[in-house]
Amino acid sequence: MTKALKLRFNRKQLCIPYAAFLILFVICPLLVIIYFAFTNGTGQFTFDNLVNFFTNTNTLGTLLNSIAIAVVTTIICLVIAYPVAYILARSKFKKKYVLLMLFVLPMWINFTLRITALKEILTAIETNIAVYPFLNTIIGMTYDFLPFMILPLYTSLSKLDKSLTEAAEDLGANGFTVFMRVVLPLSVPGIISGVTMVLLPSMTNYVVLDMLYNSTYIMGSLIGSYFAHFDWNNGSMISLILLIIIFIITLATNRFNDSGETAGRNLL
Amino acid sequence: MRKMRIAAVAAACLFAVPVFAAAGCTKTDETVVLRVANWEEYIDLGGWGEDELIELADGTEIFGENSVVDDFTEWFNSQNYGFDVRVEYSTFGTNEDLYNQLNLGDVYDLVCPSDYMIMKLLAEDKIQPFSADFMDTENPDNYYINGVSEYIDGTDESIFGQYGWSGIAACYMWGTTGLVYNPEIIGSEADVAAWDILTNSDYEKSVTVKDNVRDAYFAALSILFKDELDEINADENMTEEEKSAARSELLNSTDKETIAAAEDILKDIKQNVYSFETDSGKSDMVTGKVIANFQWSGDAVYIMDQADEEDTELWYSVPDESTNLWFDGWVMLKDGIDGNKNRQIASEAFVNFLSRPDIAVRNMYYIGYTSSIAADEVYNYFDWCYGVVTDPESEDYYEFDNVYVYDVSYFFGEDSYIYIDMDTVEVEGAALTHDYDDDDYVAGYPVYSGGTISRGRQAFTQYPTADIIDRSVVMLDFGDDLAAINQMWINVRCLDIVDISVTTVVIVAVIIVAIAAAIVLYRFRYRIFYDRPRRKAM
Repeated sequence: MTKALKLRFNRKQLCIPYAAFLILFVICPLLVIIYFAFTNGTGQFTFDNLVNFFTNTNTLGTLLNSIAIAVVTTIICLVIAYPVAYILARSKFKKKYVLLMLFVLPMWINFTLRITALKEILTAIETNIAVYPFLNTIIGMTYDFLPFMILPLYTSLSKLDKSLTEAAEDLGANGFTVFMRVVLPLSVPGIISGVTMVLLPSMTNYVVLDMLYNSTYIMGSLIGSYFAHFDWNNGSMISLILLIIIFIITLATNRFNDSGETAGRNLL
Repeated sequence: MRKMRIAAVAAACLFAVPVFAAAGCTKTDETVVLRVANWEEYIDLGGWGEDELIELADGTEIFGENSVVDDFTEWFNSQNYGFDVRVEYSTFGTNEDLYNQLNLGDVYDLVCPSDYMIMKLLAEDKIQPFSADFMDTENPDNYYINGVSEYIDGTDESIFGQYGWSGIAACYMWGTTGLVYNPEIIGSEADVAAWDILTNSDYEKSVTVKDNVRDAYFAALSILFKDELDEINADENMTEEEKSAARSELLNSTDKETIAAAEDILKDIKQNVYSFETDSGKSDMVTGKVIANFQWSGDAVYIMDQADEEDTELWYSVPDESTNLWFDGWVMLKDGIDGNKNRQIASEAFVNFLSRPDIAVRNMYYIGYTSSIAADEVYNYFDWCYGVVTDPESEDYYEFDNVYVYDVSYFFGEDSYIYIDMDTVEVEGAALTHDYDDDDYVAGYPVYSGGTISRGRQAFTQYPTADIIDRSVVMLDFGDDLAAINQMWINVRCLDIVDISVTTVVIVAVIIVAIAAAIVLYRFRYRIFYDRPRRKAM
């Protein structure tokens, strides 16, 4: 009896490693970032870093560039992934898990390696990849993030109750109406989680840009370059701004997502 | 209460880390742990194949079986220093990485930064000068000070002497910056003779530049001051010293106007080049993705060697305006040495060991860079690599029709030259002189010498000619202007809002409107498509 009690007590303590991890690697760095963001090189409190970011056309341009790349990547991923996920979810093909695996398979290979390979493929097609940097970046990003879009969509679409679509058909709805009124609204949670999983990381993913976009910075590499030049303050401020942007986007999508479950996120 | 306990455990974990780390550092009195930080791939790691044995003309055999670090440990521990040494060898990728590591609290005894970073560390009083024993030329075991080229260190006129680095830093490798190019694809040799190939639209998207603010800034200034530099080079009234000082002043200018002008040039360069690269340049060059490639001479040798194996002949050009003469040197750090006599002795022994001629040759062979050591073995190695065999008895001997007398006296001391076969390697700008009869071997053959050579293969890349050295410039630390130049570089690398074209803006606007329309349509789909209000229970 006492032994069982002790065990239950211990179970709560099991979260201590995670708490330590959280404090060491999330909370502390965050506090450090906030400290550096609002101080200058000599440690005095200042808003200069904030002003610097919003008055320099180059850093603002980088922000816009990052957003543009992220949005275009997300849209293309969605356009490609939705039909694939839909077909996979509806098909009676018994081996569809094999097909699904084929889409997820690239994720098991190292990211940098995949982009290096992609660079060679694009060079073979275009001869000189430096001519269409934006296009190549989008291709690289889409290549990398497509599985993150397919999986949540697939999960939410395969959970869809077939009797609902059958009922709609019985009541005389045509294919388009069924899709617009039944399938699409019910897959919104999947779309939302897919979009969050593609949009946010693609804003800072600089490896693709380093390789394919004439070495133009996006937010990730901009922060990195400030840090490389011992400028912790401006770098921290940009990290903080990025964090706030991501926070706002997450908040917005969560509101949108209130009714639905977080489809498919647990799969990854 | 529970929260407090979690906090206590977390705090305990936090404190435990440094305690464990400190415990790991405790060592016995007999063994000194030497913490060395060097560039990546900047030392011989051994493991040579049997066919790689270097057999010099004087019979010396050099072979890298184990890594130089292991060899040093073994050698040191067999000497009577009274203590043993264990080397903790780590590497860094850039000078800035090293500086950041030092500022974040990493402790090293011996590091190998470049010239400007040595200046920066020196200004911050972080460097422990070498001892008088280390600089003593009387002791034959002082391989560094006895072996280093007089052109680099050891005298007041040497480069290190002039800049006051003598006794502070021990030069390890040195070289120039230039362009590696493929002569078969290049339009005209004259194009690689000037830095403005980087902004030349004939070479749009086919040249790469180093992703490094200093190298990029140097190239930008060379383009900016092209006319002034050409004028200085052509001026016959100025002495070499005056010319040198004038070039150095131009290429080390860091005033606001210059930085702004450099920013514009670098933005043009960014539009025109294939990419700013960190390490893809080597493979892009060998695989033919780019025609020319801004490189440090040591990497250039490595690329040319690689390309030779693929049967592609690459050349190295030092543009006419100027070149950045750079040095990487060993310095001891005050934080690391910390007054420990044994540690300083071990550090100095390490530098001397690296300067031992056979070790210097091994490192040169392995990494492709040029050692600061000018001992006979290094000279013989240079001859072994690129010179023709002049001894008829040798099995490698063959008849040649004409030779080029490649003079490297500025580095190895008077009357140091090797003969390069003009049939296998053409030398650009070589002048034919028949009256060269210093040496019996070449009498009777047409001999080329003199002329201004700015392009060549590995021999030229490793040891440029004296007149390249004359027009080279040492790029100093930016000092207080560092922040402004770094910001300039970030501006170059970012996308400026002002540069976004109207078409892009229109396309983006159309996309945004389309998305907005889609959302509106979706939201009011009941009213638009079905003409009835939305049901509440959806």
